[in-house]
Amino acid sequence: MSLLQEEREIILSNEYVDAFDFAEATEFVTNASKDLFISHHFKNKSRMLVQPRGGFPTYRQQYALYESFVDANVDVLPLTIDSNTRLNDYATAKKMLRLSEENDMDMLNGYPLVTHGYRTTRKMITHFNKPVSLRHGTPDARLLIETAIASGIFEIEGGPITYLLPYSKNFPLDKALLYWKYVERVCANYSRLNMPINRESFGPLTATLVPPAITIVIQLLEMLLSLEEGVESFSVSFAQQGSMNQDIVTGAVLRKLAKHYAAEIDCADAAIQLVYHQWMGAFPSKQDFAEQLINLSTVIASMVGADKIITKTREEATGIPTKEANAKTVADTQYCLGILNGLPTIVDEQEEEILTLEVQAVMEAVFNDPADTLWRKVFNSIKNGIIDVPFSPHIINQNAMITIRDASRNIRIIERGNVPIPERSYDYERAQCDLSKDTTSIVNNIIRDIGIMQ
Amino acid sequence: MKVVTGVVGNDIHVVANRLIDLSLQARGYEVFNLGVNTHLEEFFDAAVETGADALVISSLNGEAEGWGREVRLLKANYKTLDDLVMMIGGNLVVGSGNTEDIVARYKNYGFDLVCHQVDLNTGLDSLAAFLEERSQS
Repeated sequence: MSLLQEEREIILSNEYVDAFDFAEATEFVTNASKDLFISHHFKNKSRMLVQPRGGFPTYRQQYALYESFVDANVDVLPLTIDSNTRLNDYATAKKMLRLSEENDMDMLNGYPLVTHGYRTTRKMITHFNKPVSLRHGTPDARLLIETAIASGIFEIEGGPITYLLPYSKNFPLDKALLYWKYVERVCANYSRLNMPINRESFGPLTATLVPPAITIVIQLLEMLLSLEEGVESFSVSFAQQGSMNQDIVTGAVLRKLAKHYAAEIDCADAAIQLVYHQWMGAFPSKQDFAEQLINLSTVIASMVGADKIITKTREEATGIPTKEANAKTVADTQYCLGILNGLPTIVDEQEEEILTLEVQAVMEAVFNDPADTLWRKVFNSIKNGIIDVPFSPHIINQNAMITIRDASRNIRIIERGNVPIPERSYDYERAQCDLSKDTTSIVNNIIRDIGIMQ
Repeated sequence: MKVVTGVVGNDIHVVANRLIDLSLQARGYEVFNLGVNTHLEEFFDAAVETGADALVISSLNGEAEGWGREVRLLKANYKTLDDLVMMIGGNLVVGSGNTEDIVARYKNYGFDLVCHQVDLNTGLDSLAAFLEERSQS
């Protein structure tokens, strides 16, 4: 038995798992309908796929949510996982699920997949026969993704960096990197049976003034960590940043460099997609304004040429959206995409060059780390602050980089910390901003820059 | 002047914490930022370790009161913290409440300065004024 299989058996021999049948799961994936694989839809699509977010505690609620989404002409269904399961606290998830079922009150902020189990969940997923995307935020997702794939969920979001730095204070990064290696290997192995299991990175990170260079570097590194384990289909992603031009530039550079770095490790054949998240920062509480913002996001996603868009709802400012509000966004976004025709092509060569130089310099610094494997190089680079994510709560993050918005609301780096931003790019970024202000006014500007959409 | 700061309890809201850190530094304080999800014992241990003049605690999720109640009890275990200036700010209750009542309650818990939904710079001005006043007395 391989070491991986030994580890799988340990992970799945868990008191919260009801007798995991490896042979049956393998047979299920081998014979599963192509329609369940987002990789199949990416290959054959004529336009951008629309995917909402959403997860409710009970089976019945999740089923009803999927019915509303299907009525609204959804392309990809989400399965958002509750916070207890994300933190591997299956005992609490189980208790809260029972309370939710008995009292008709939601005691969980998502679907406790491990508690429901794959046999139950698979019934729902094969019934709707649409691709499902797993949305979570879990540093140790080993049990979760095993359950997901056996349920018929063939897109797994996340990664060791993007699901750790925005979400955790002290979960060890090296452990997260190794646990995600397991995820990549299991996805790669299942990918040989039928269509590829798609992996997607979580580009929004903290959704708070993250400069595109940092977003792109982390997207590229998670892509490489995934491809080197044998994953054949990967989506890089980012969220609306606040300036249309910066989004278009970011999309162009990300797409170009993803292809370039994939080819560098002999994975040029891998399918690489680009995913765009509607605005992930603080939303306006006025619901009509929220809909305008969502619509704007859809227009920008089209300008960027995204392969998939992930939606928000008019109720974003208030909490977890109702299924009605959620389905409404799907229908509205599909309508907007249907009428968006004859979009102009915008290319900003100067901005692309500045950004490309930044990304290449940071990637080179990561590769030049003396460690023997990519995951160790990544670990060291984050620890040293070569990669620095603004507003990460994690203790390993350097927090030395400072970013603000320029007059066109582009995110600019005004303090690079230890991130090796080349002089030419750094001078350019700083030249776009008024740096004569004192720190108190800069802090006030940062507060304004975070809340631009409110 | 040395200041220990952080977000109390199981509260991961990091944005204000980072801005408080930047603002305190800009005002010339030596800052020891413990970040989010910090328990009271960790704050007091850090105050002892650094010899801090002030402890600036922030909270956004509204759960600070549950932790605030234990301040006197816990602080009494430390022998060298009698002169530590205690400040708390942010959104200090779950839901809404009368600011005067909230301030009075937190002062009773052992805080010298209480800033419920007060602008960051106004809050830090009050800290500077308090420290200034105390150094003269």
